[in-house]
Amino acid sequence: MDTLTRRKFLKLTAGSVAVGAAAPLLNIADIAEAAISRPLPSGTPILVMVTLYGGNDGLNTVIPFKDPIYYSSRPDISYKEELVLPLDAELAFNPAMKSMKVLWDQKKVAIIRGVGYPNPDRSHFSSMAKWQTASPEKHINTGWLGRWIDTQPSDSMLAISLGSVLPPLFAGGRLSGSVLPLGGLVIPQGSLGRQCQQLAKPSRMDSNLMAAAATSMRNLFSVSTEVQPILKAPAPVAADLPVVNGGNAGGDSNLSQQLDIVAKLIAAGAPTKVWSVSLGGFDTHANEANAQSALLGVVSDSIARFMSQLRSTSRSQDVTVAVYSEFGRRVVGNGSQGTDHGTSGPMFIVGEKVNGGFYGDQPSLKNLISGDLAVTTDFRDVYATLLEKVLRSPAEQTLGRWAGRTQFMKS
Amino acid sequence: MNAGRLEISRLYQRFAFGPRPGEFTAALKAGPAQTRNALLAPPAQDIGAQSVQPPLLTDLGQRPKPNTPELADFVLGIRTQREALMLWWLDLMVKSDHGLTERMVWFWHGHWATSMSKVDHPLAMYKQNQSFRAHALGDLTAMSRAMLNDGALQFWLDGQTNTKGKPNENLAREFMELFLLGVNRYTEDDVKALSKSFTGYQLTSSTGEVRFNEKRHDFAPVALLGTTRHFSGEEASDYLVGKSDCQKFIAERIWYRFLSSTETMPNNFSAVSAYSSRNMLSAITAAATDPEMQKVKNQMAKAPLEWFIAACRALELTPSQLKRPAQISAHLNKLGQIPFSPPNVGGWPAGEAWLSSASAQYRIEFATWLVKQSSLRALNEIPVEKRVVQSADWLGVAQWSPRTQAALRSSVNNPTEFTVLALTSPEYVVSA
Repeated sequence: MDTLTRRKFLKLTAGSVAVGAAAPLLNIADIAEAAISRPLPSGTPILVMVTLYGGNDGLNTVIPFKDPIYYSSRPDISYKEELVLPLDAELAFNPAMKSMKVLWDQKKVAIIRGVGYPNPDRSHFSSMAKWQTASPEKHINTGWLGRWIDTQPSDSMLAISLGSVLPPLFAGGRLSGSVLPLGGLVIPQGSLGRQCQQLAKPSRMDSNLMAAAATSMRNLFSVSTEVQPILKAPAPVAADLPVVNGGNAGGDSNLSQQLDIVAKLIAAGAPTKVWSVSLGGFDTHANEANAQSALLGVVSDSIARFMSQLRSTSRSQDVTVAVYSEFGRRVVGNGSQGTDHGTSGPMFIVGEKVNGGFYGDQPSLKNLISGDLAVTTDFRDVYATLLEKVLRSPAEQTLGRWAGRTQFMKS
Repeated sequence: MNAGRLEISRLYQRFAFGPRPGEFTAALKAGPAQTRNALLAPPAQDIGAQSVQPPLLTDLGQRPKPNTPELADFVLGIRTQREALMLWWLDLMVKSDHGLTERMVWFWHGHWATSMSKVDHPLAMYKQNQSFRAHALGDLTAMSRAMLNDGALQFWLDGQTNTKGKPNENLAREFMELFLLGVNRYTEDDVKALSKSFTGYQLTSSTGEVRFNEKRHDFAPVALLGTTRHFSGEEASDYLVGKSDCQKFIAERIWYRFLSSTETMPNNFSAVSAYSSRNMLSAITAAATDPEMQKVKNQMAKAPLEWFIAACRALELTPSQLKRPAQISAHLNKLGQIPFSPPNVGGWPAGEAWLSSASAQYRIEFATWLVKQSSLRALNEIPVEKRVVQSADWLGVAQWSPRTQAALRSSVNNPTEFTVLALTSPEYVVSA
């Protein structure tokens, strides 16, 4: 299978999950208007979901660098002890995750080990659907955050997914999240922009409809002049976070663009409590080492940059980031310097209010279940905690009766 | 403003999809009456339309179950055929030498508004579209029967689940409310009665074929709008079309889509009496000739699709030949209007709904994308010093305001920017 992208996933699941067409399509002006007219009250918690499409290899993300079985299982694609970034005596980050290591050292990263669900499914599409719907036993067509959206007052700004298609995660039964296309940010500049402002002037000859057309163009510019400073200038990087070189795939990745926009809109006061961003390409069946470490570098650098951007706003205490992928990969490498589809993997929760450290048991490399890692934490434990401790909502409305919790948030 | 000029501009913008380069200038010379006669008379042969190849559509069968290997191929087939179907129609709207026919197909598509989102199968949508074309300017009795036997419409409104003893009112209600009579011109009992008359239709969704199964039909007499007897589906359709409310309702829809979406239809609007024949060409001819056509207050906003087709005609672009034609639906989607995907059975909105800040922004993007792909032949042939004034003739605009002239004048040496401004100006976005 070639590089799996989110878009492909969405195309292939179209029809099995109700998404897409009905999702309100926002543009930056709508959000900007809302940010100005009804900003999110300071102190309101904000959740940012980061989806890694393709199945991230957890064992090469959080590496059991002292375990001889790790090296014997995947001689071609294991990381040498001297390269990894140790987190404790047994586990280390991938060498590309230098920025995330800084956050870890600041106790802002919770690593939840062995996350998955009963009877793991090795299909990208089925497994991602299970993760996003939080319904491993039964196929349903609402996402767990979509069901949370259903419990909230209707507001198209409440939950926003970057990109042009709504992920199943945000599809509710009654309501759904909105999508913000990345390309929706273009406001005419330069000469064309100036002449469009000329076109937008009122004319005595205008009929009602022509006046409405001119007004709509004028509003476009007036809103954009208020918000443009926010959007154009990236929030300054906080001085207390060292800029880490290396580990980036080079240049801006799409994920960092997405998170840049989220940071700016959070800073501007967008009335949005849940955001969704994503990165594809983790389906590393072949030549894994370079590809995966480049992607992990993007994830790590983008999130660190995002957190430091927020540091310069009043909202840095309010934001929690959660990172997941649809499955981990096989313990034993395949014959093409890669790994095939596996089962559980680590989740990361990042934020000022996160109680940094390890949660859940590290799956044993000795006692595999038909060659795969055991699931030691159910994703519903994590979701329930995010719902209660971050979104301050009862978990039962969204997840049904579910007892498990993972206490990774400061209370 | 010159009254003849306003009328000719309206004829082109509303009863066709805008002039091609040179057509408006020629029409000004010929005058409103001759222009109207030419627009209303279908040519013996539509060479432009004949140059558009029909889309390659096949029966894709039923949608495979979720998470099966067959699903990916099916979805790919649907996507490919949907794109082919849309480009075919867009091309036809741009290329047809008889703008009114495609304009009427577009009108009927918004009237019997059926969406691919539920119907799923492009082949069924294509058959419906061809049916609109066959009846575009013809007799409503025949058209209404054809729609009753249309697989896409039946499926869209759950007609196949409407059976004796287990009526589903969806199709019957919309036949009265949205298709033939208008809201409040019937009772709830009439809806129940009509749904019984409409029982027994079955269909194959992937092809849009409709069969009548008399075992599922309710043969009991019903009381429908004052007449008690058994009606077959087609008899009920004929009966509704014959009602005077139907005559008035279709005239109201013509008024709303061709004359004004904001002003109320005057009682003496000539399309009403002309439609006593139930012949659409008669009604449209009356509407195009009515004195209301000359009244300044009767303005219309161009819907996004109408704006796009008119721009393609002026820019001499063929939709399927554009770079990455899939981008067209991305642009139209942002503007909120994709052919074959109306938002609901009521069709698309009109008027100010199309004039939001967001759509202003998206229209600028869309125009920029289009203009860059055009040679701008017509504009470049106009001497620079005459471009501001004569571009109104090129685009069929009744009159530029001083505001817009100022913007155009600043860009007169930059044909790309000039054209983007002209296409996004209030005078082009709105049909004066």
